[in-house]
Amino acid sequence: MKQILVIDDAATVRLYVRQVLEAEGFYVDEATNGLEGLEKALSHHFDLVLCDVNMPVMDGYTTVTKFRQERTLAHIPIVMISTEAKKKDANRAFAAGANDYLVKPVNPDKLILEVRMLTGEG
Amino acid sequence: MALIKKTVSAPPEEHRHSARDLSGLLEQLRSDKPDIRRWAALDLSEHSEAAEILCRCLEEEQNMAVRDALFTSLIRINNNAAVKGLIPLLKSEDAALRNGVIEALRQMPDALAPYMQDMLHDPDSDVRIFTVNVLESLCHPMTPEWLLGVIEEDTHINVCATAVDLLAEVGSPEMIASIDALPGRFANDPFLRFAADIAIRRIRGANPN
Repeated sequence: MKQILVIDDAATVRLYVRQVLEAEGFYVDEATNGLEGLEKALSHHFDLVLCDVNMPVMDGYTTVTKFRQERTLAHIPIVMISTEAKKKDANRAFAAGANDYLVKPVNPDKLILEVRMLTGEG
Repeated sequence: MALIKKTVSAPPEEHRHSARDLSGLLEQLRSDKPDIRRWAALDLSEHSEAAEILCRCLEEEQNMAVRDALFTSLIRINNNAAVKGLIPLLKSEDAALRNGVIEALRQMPDALAPYMQDMLHDPDSDVRIFTVNVLESLCHPMTPEWLLGVIEEDTHINVCATAVDLLAEVGSPEMIASIDALPGRFANDPFLRFAADIAIRRIRGANPN
């Protein structure tokens, strides 16, 4: 079973993503900010990270950068999911090291497709 | 959030010999030594007239300890100028700075309240989302009504989604009809329907009668 980590400060978003992905057979864990996400990823194997941009404690861009700097985490695909739809925001996500950038609210079918593709389950 | 420090250790001995009046502190705020800037920023909390300058410094300051000190002093000053200087920083490209601004504004409910309507009607939907984020921990009696206005009027789905998420915590039973009607304004988007249903369940659970 592929392991997905959802990093988002909005509880409703985490719950929604969890329900969508668990229904498709993925294991989902949650973190409420980037720092908590990093700590979880350092102690547990994940096949993919879904990461919000604007969060307290550690924002999404910093989180992705930290993942890419950490030898044991650098290979994990990361999809940033943000309310910010401007092209510069997506460019910044890619510059930080994200594999893809989706704008909220994410269509569940699109989310499943993206997760399947990046975890090799497609 | 770690950005805002409530207590600080004593300054180094050498700083006690620097001028601690307003003009001396403003001069030290331009020092190339972060420790001197940090102590100047902290000591400027005693000078409410420095709020505008402290906000301007936030835009350029890259040292996190100095930035924390600037936020700490602005929260202590907690006046109209501090709020007016912080609000435009919600448009910053620097996500960490925006987070600090959100956290600081949350601690200035009375000074912030007169600006809330303008912030909730900013043309930039990202600013409106950040404003709803401020409301998340803003201890102000108008918070539920401000959020209700967002879900009834705002035309951006993510602004409304952020607001309905918060209404799950602070909403009251008389708001349920508006929350239930929200997804209909956005072609019954599945996430918004999910978020609205969760909010309604939580409000009913918190108010069983």
